[in-house]
Amino acid sequence: MTMTVPAQEQQTIRLSQVCKSYGDYPVLKDIDAQVARGEVVVICGPSGSGKSTLIRTINRLEEINSGSITLDGQNIHAAMRAKELNALRSRIGFVFQNFNLFPHLSVVENVSMSPIRVKGVAPDVAEEKALKLLDRVGLADKARAYPGQLSGGQQQRVAIARALAMEPPVMLFDEPTSALDPEMVGEVLAVMKSLASEGMTMLCVTHEMGFARDVADRIWFIDAGQIIEMATPEEFFNNPRHPRAQRFLADLRH
Amino acid sequence: MSGFDLSAILANPEYTAMLLHGIEMTFIIYAGSWSMAMVLALLLLALRLSPFRFGDPLVAAYVSYHRNVPTLVQLMLWYFGIFTLMPSGVSSWLAIHNAEAIFAVIGLGLCQAAYFSEDLRSGVRSVSPGQMQAARALGHGYISAMRFVIMPQGVRNALPPLINHSVSLFKNSSLAVVIGASELTHAVKEIENLSFRTFEIYLIGTVLYLFFSLVIMSIGAYVSMRTDPARSARA
Amino acid sequence: MIHDMIAIVRDYWLLLLIGQYPNGPLGGLANTLILSALSIALAFPVSILFALARLSKSALLRWPVTALVYFTRGVPLLMLILWSYFLVPLMTGADVPSFVTMLTTLVVYQSAFLSEVVRAGIVALGPGQMDAGRALGHSYIGAMRFIILPQALYNMIPSIISTFVSTIKDTTLGYVINVPDLTFAASQVNNQLLTQPFQVFLILAIVYFAICWTLTHFANRLERRITRRRAGLSGLPAASLVAPSKIISEQL
Repeated sequence: MTMTVPAQEQQTIRLSQVCKSYGDYPVLKDIDAQVARGEVVVICGPSGSGKSTLIRTINRLEEINSGSITLDGQNIHAAMRAKELNALRSRIGFVFQNFNLFPHLSVVENVSMSPIRVKGVAPDVAEEKALKLLDRVGLADKARAYPGQLSGGQQQRVAIARALAMEPPVMLFDEPTSALDPEMVGEVLAVMKSLASEGMTMLCVTHEMGFARDVADRIWFIDAGQIIEMATPEEFFNNPRHPRAQRFLADLRH
Repeated sequence: MSGFDLSAILANPEYTAMLLHGIEMTFIIYAGSWSMAMVLALLLLALRLSPFRFGDPLVAAYVSYHRNVPTLVQLMLWYFGIFTLMPSGVSSWLAIHNAEAIFAVIGLGLCQAAYFSEDLRSGVRSVSPGQMQAARALGHGYISAMRFVIMPQGVRNALPPLINHSVSLFKNSSLAVVIGASELTHAVKEIENLSFRTFEIYLIGTVLYLFFSLVIMSIGAYVSMRTDPARSARA
Repeated sequence: MIHDMIAIVRDYWLLLLIGQYPNGPLGGLANTLILSALSIALAFPVSILFALARLSKSALLRWPVTALVYFTRGVPLLMLILWSYFLVPLMTGADVPSFVTMLTTLVVYQSAFLSEVVRAGIVALGPGQMDAGRALGHSYIGAMRFIILPQALYNMIPSIISTFVSTIKDTTLGYVINVPDLTFAASQVNNQLLTQPFQVFLILAIVYFAICWTLTHFANRLERRITRRRAGLSGLPAASLVAPSKIISEQL
């Protein structure tokens, strides 16, 4: 594998020999990888390769069987009290494939509720911040609407704002556009691109190769539970080294 | 037998007083048992969801008992059975303070709590698992997630069966007549004995029950509507 | 305590099982079960008629039945029993045993509830089945008879069993008009013993629990089997097919 490994001090996320199985069935095999501060990493691979599972282990929505995952040196999968884990999770933004907005709260409440209830931010401060974030994702006018009244693309942008409201140093995206109608993919990718250009550390599982080419600093190609290739976009798209990566890219071009 | 004459009952102050007392007692029993059932149902749900190992089987056993034994038999067990087992100080106090109504409230309340807790439980279960994941991903603890994300949705989902069961509970208040509580059905029977105007008094009783059932259903519909105005689907 | 209860059962089991028979009408647990079974057997066809009436295009059929169903659901069963006790002898002119009065009341009551389940079951099949039947030349009744009802009713079997359980619990209300059932027998035992009311009524509770729990358990297993079988046949997701039998599982 070519490419520079980020220097130790710059590593925001470090995965070390991460293994996970469902019963006897191995899903992640000896994953070793690092994400530097400000890096944008795109994870891609065929379906069933374990990419969603991998990203969900990073904020411990999935457990691992062995290995370690650290955020700024802190081991996410160590035994710890619930309070510590919650605090750790609030520092990792996560955007789901099917948005998972809270249907019983308005858009602005979706964004402001967790800073208020989890971090103890004052309600008026939180609301003001929420409105600013909604403006940033282009949905200030929908603040009082409810999720059920929004399109998929709009809901996903609210979900991004909701995650950003917790001011995480890292944002994880689990196939953020896979559940969207094609005409709405662009608006979500635009938000993600602007986040990247502001220097957010991002890890995205996605099929959107245009996004990967434009924005990613590195691409991790994962197949059958292993990261088979790590490369810059230029290297990966123009000159994939591993035969399976080559096949994957060939299939995509159809 | 003289013809149909509602005024024989309604114009008679003694009878209307009995009816009003019956209605009052029915409502005391209903309000008491409903409140008890709701509070207990939330506790049972919390117990079920708690990490306590025996919480789930205990609550399951509680629910099973109260759903399989007829409500009337439960009331009889309380009033004819447990009442007699109580120490004499307690039972004399109860006897002076309308024991029939108290045991009606206890018996109906405990029974209804089983049904309410199952309604709440299925309401909570129907909340999509992505909601809990999203809440946890944002850093909410389990309790915080339950409080702000899951329960509000779960209770809303549970409203239809909860309302149905609330109406059933109201109708079940009539069972208290069997253990001697002086509620509406008791008043109806008493007035029938005194006036022999069976058809008229039964009609009045029926209309009253129907009316109050409708009121409860309307309150339920109102609560349903108030908690769900903005969840309209996209056009 | 347990010792007392065993003694009571040992001494009074016959009374609890069949009441005063042969020195009086059949009573006790036997009568409870017969009353319940008979009510369901009669309520079942009536409920189908009610459901068809509620689904019919003719308002003349629809409104009275809808009114009856809402009435039955809004009035306590106890009140309905009092009505029957008053009206049935009046209408038949004869001295009617309380068993018959109770039976009539239960049939009307259960048909109203069951008709909702039948109606839901028919609606859940979707209009496609009726369309297919009419396209093949069946009349409305014919399509109902050969296509719709067989499917809806098969799906309904668990609901019918849980209505049976409900009916068993409802029979206890016959107590107020002295129907000689299990509850009545238990109160007779209590009146004889006088000193052990708790034990007597606990036995009563246990017997009902045993019967109802077993039947409910059986109904749940049937429901799972039907759901699995239906899912295989039609390819639809299993959960959507069987009308939730929980609708009927509680009236008391």
